[in-house]
Amino acid sequence: MSMTPSTHEPVALPDASVPAGEGEAPRGRRDTSHSIHARLSGIYIIALFIAIFAVWVPSTFLTTTTVQSILGSEAITAIIAIGLLFSLAAGQFDLSAGGMVGLSTVIVAWLTAQHGYSPESAIAIALAVGVAVGALNGLLVVGLGVHSFIATLGMSSVLIAITEKITGEEFITGVPSGITDIANPQPLGIPVLALYALVVAVVAWYVLEHTPAGRRLHAVGAGPEAARLAGVPTRKLAFASLIATSTIAALAGVFLAAEVGSASPDQGSAYLLPAFAAALLGSTQILPGRVNVAGTMVAIVLLAVGIKGLQLAGGAGWVTDMFNGVALMVAVSAANFAQVTRARRLLRQRRTRDRASGSPPEKIRRDHP
Amino acid sequence: MTEAGVPPALRLAGLGKTFPSQAALRGVGLELQRGEVRALLGENGSGKSTLIKLLAGYHTPDAGWTAEADGVPFTLGNAEAAREAGLRFIHQDLGLVPELSVIDNLALGEDYVGRRWISPRREAAAAREALSRVGLDLNVHRAVRELTPGEQAGVTIARALRGGLDGTVLVLDEPTASLSGTEVDRLHKIVRRIRDSGGAVLYVTHRLGEVFEIADRVTVLRDGSEVADRRVSDLSHAELVRLVVGRDVDAVFSHAVASRRSVAFEAQDVCGEGLDNVSLTGYHGEILGVAGITGSGREELPYLLFGARRWHSGRLRIGDRSHNKMTVSAALRSGMAFAAADRQRESAIPLLTIRDNVMLSALPKGRAAWWVSLRSQRRDVEEWLERMGVRPPDPELPLASLSGGNQQRVVLARLLRSEPEVMLLEEPTRGVDIGAKAEIYRILTEVAAEGAAVVICSSDAEELALVCDRVLVLREGRVVAELENESLTEEAIVSHCVMEDQVSQP
Repeated sequence: MSMTPSTHEPVALPDASVPAGEGEAPRGRRDTSHSIHARLSGIYIIALFIAIFAVWVPSTFLTTTTVQSILGSEAITAIIAIGLLFSLAAGQFDLSAGGMVGLSTVIVAWLTAQHGYSPESAIAIALAVGVAVGALNGLLVVGLGVHSFIATLGMSSVLIAITEKITGEEFITGVPSGITDIANPQPLGIPVLALYALVVAVVAWYVLEHTPAGRRLHAVGAGPEAARLAGVPTRKLAFASLIATSTIAALAGVFLAAEVGSASPDQGSAYLLPAFAAALLGSTQILPGRVNVAGTMVAIVLLAVGIKGLQLAGGAGWVTDMFNGVALMVAVSAANFAQVTRARRLLRQRRTRDRASGSPPEKIRRDHP
Repeated sequence: MTEAGVPPALRLAGLGKTFPSQAALRGVGLELQRGEVRALLGENGSGKSTLIKLLAGYHTPDAGWTAEADGVPFTLGNAEAAREAGLRFIHQDLGLVPELSVIDNLALGEDYVGRRWISPRREAAAAREALSRVGLDLNVHRAVRELTPGEQAGVTIARALRGGLDGTVLVLDEPTASLSGTEVDRLHKIVRRIRDSGGAVLYVTHRLGEVFEIADRVTVLRDGSEVADRRVSDLSHAELVRLVVGRDVDAVFSHAVASRRSVAFEAQDVCGEGLDNVSLTGYHGEILGVAGITGSGREELPYLLFGARRWHSGRLRIGDRSHNKMTVSAALRSGMAFAAADRQRESAIPLLTIRDNVMLSALPKGRAAWWVSLRSQRRDVEEWLERMGVRPPDPELPLASLSGGNQQRVVLARLLRSEPEVMLLEEPTRGVDIGAKAEIYRILTEVAAEGAAVVICSSDAEELALVCDRVLVLREGRVVAELENESLTEEAIVSHCVMEDQVSQP
């Protein structure tokens, strides 16, 4: 089969256009890899929780106070979780995010309450420390090739130590109103921290889903070799992602100082596990298979509603951690299971389709007839 | 040779790369003219892939290189510079991210349509257009993992040609390894189109037939050095083989026909991921080959036989037992041993010492002990290294410090130490230099002669034709041919592997 060299029409070859995904969702629909119900399962569960608790503890659950308390208490966890998405997308775990929250809170409280810094400069310093810690993580993980789990575990311990050193292992009180006013307003009855979290979420959603750098961040995490071969600056992106996570954690710390009005030496660590739980649980929602902002928000609400309901129904303090842990394990197991069964089904479909299109006539391809 | 006045599309000189364990490339030069397809040919481990990875900016070359595109110098070791110099790549493993959508994969290393705002609709339209240029129509929101190998190859090609076909300088690294006949034809058509439109193509392959079909000139690499730069029309098939291998092929290995004895195992109607009612029988004293392109089930078969992947149905008779599904422990108990192709992850542990790797094997029944002294371990392992001809024969060296050929000998030592009845090997000579290859073939022949059943699953048809007594060809998960005696030739294997669904021109 010889080709005349003069053919310059587009190389559209009739035998090549195998219609893909026949008998499945129509082309043009966004994501056909997962059923719409699987993607929204978290929202169904939230609705179910609300229904259950509305019946179980009607007098306390369906109240404005409950809604406000959920929004207010989860805002900081949400911000940290969203920060984690950047490094998680790039395939890095930042275990120092909790320590960073604590350090940032303490820096703000310490500088304003004990050293007379203005709120603005104290906040700027806290955020700058966030950038510096992220860069240090990046240096260890990207520059020296230390596994992110190990590098940030070490960093976490260092940050906690610095926090303890600054506070002298005691509470710092007397945070000025310039700081606490940040968290006080309640426009339309909504705690303002929830609105801040929403702003952070929208910005992160924009960056991660709608900018080239954000989309490539997912490639760095999912296929670093292929991304590097294709010319994606994988190291720069991984480095930047660690800075983003750390800086956002520092921002969360500022809000924490504003909300509580004081700083204790061990505040930050408590946020680490719930934030990771939300980010990872979120990767099973909305855009399953990758960490994503919308899914994380669903996860935050799901966890918060469940926990709040159980607390109001008389659950003890340990309910929170138990619920976070169980929800994470169940959700990720379910998502894995769904992926495996789906892969099998696809393979079967493809095979039956191939067979239906006729068995191959036994004919040897000759190169030079 | 060089057209006067016109600088070549690509000129490389003094290109070298030394890895910690060995020199992969030594001072290689290369010229690629516009309107030319140049094949880059060489055995596994000859340095082809290293050269491409240097060009793509994946590795940084040793000092002393020069690189020019259309007469303009550019920097090697930097992906962005290679891209700006106008080079486009199709990599060996295709370089896609399986979890991401077609859209995101097409934009990897290329640009999205949007810079400040990526709109799914706009990106999808652009992706569809890029695909249609190479004659593909896919759901672009799908994850690449869910596409067939041919479709995945199409995505890679579409990505490389996103900026347009005409005048491109395209570098392809063994692109046809996983393609069927029509897909290969389609790719060749695109390659010719690029050449005829004033572009240039560097085509890395180990299929000799392809060189004659598509290339104008050929550069042959051997052991990291350039051994020939010739016009294809001046070469015969045999001459080219001699250039690649470095000696007459017949001298490489001569195979004594084994005497087939009793049945070692019999698999009936095995179904599992990638396999559809496969039946095969292995005999003591025989080397059985399994051929097939990627996605044919060749890669899954050894894992299923060894019980390392899930069985959907089927039956395996081995020894005096019959299993209706296999598990790894059952496989080991019945005397099977398996070495997967991926030495870095599956068939060996590179960071452990040679001793640790050899000692990983299960011992035959009655030989297990509660306590094995370090001294007796060393003695045991040294004996094996001696027998396998591993250089250097020091049990305490990390496996990673050995060359590919020596690593593979250590893997074989691990398998043989358990005195297997059935030896399953996947790509036993991948990344192994030619000398060690012959040695490995010799070992395998010996093992078979001593009565074991040896099964080799390989993508290298030449290898199968050379060492096997019998070869099964898989296609789309089924056995489509059984080749033996006179019918067992490299050409027969290849043509059965890529036989087409449709009749491709009478």
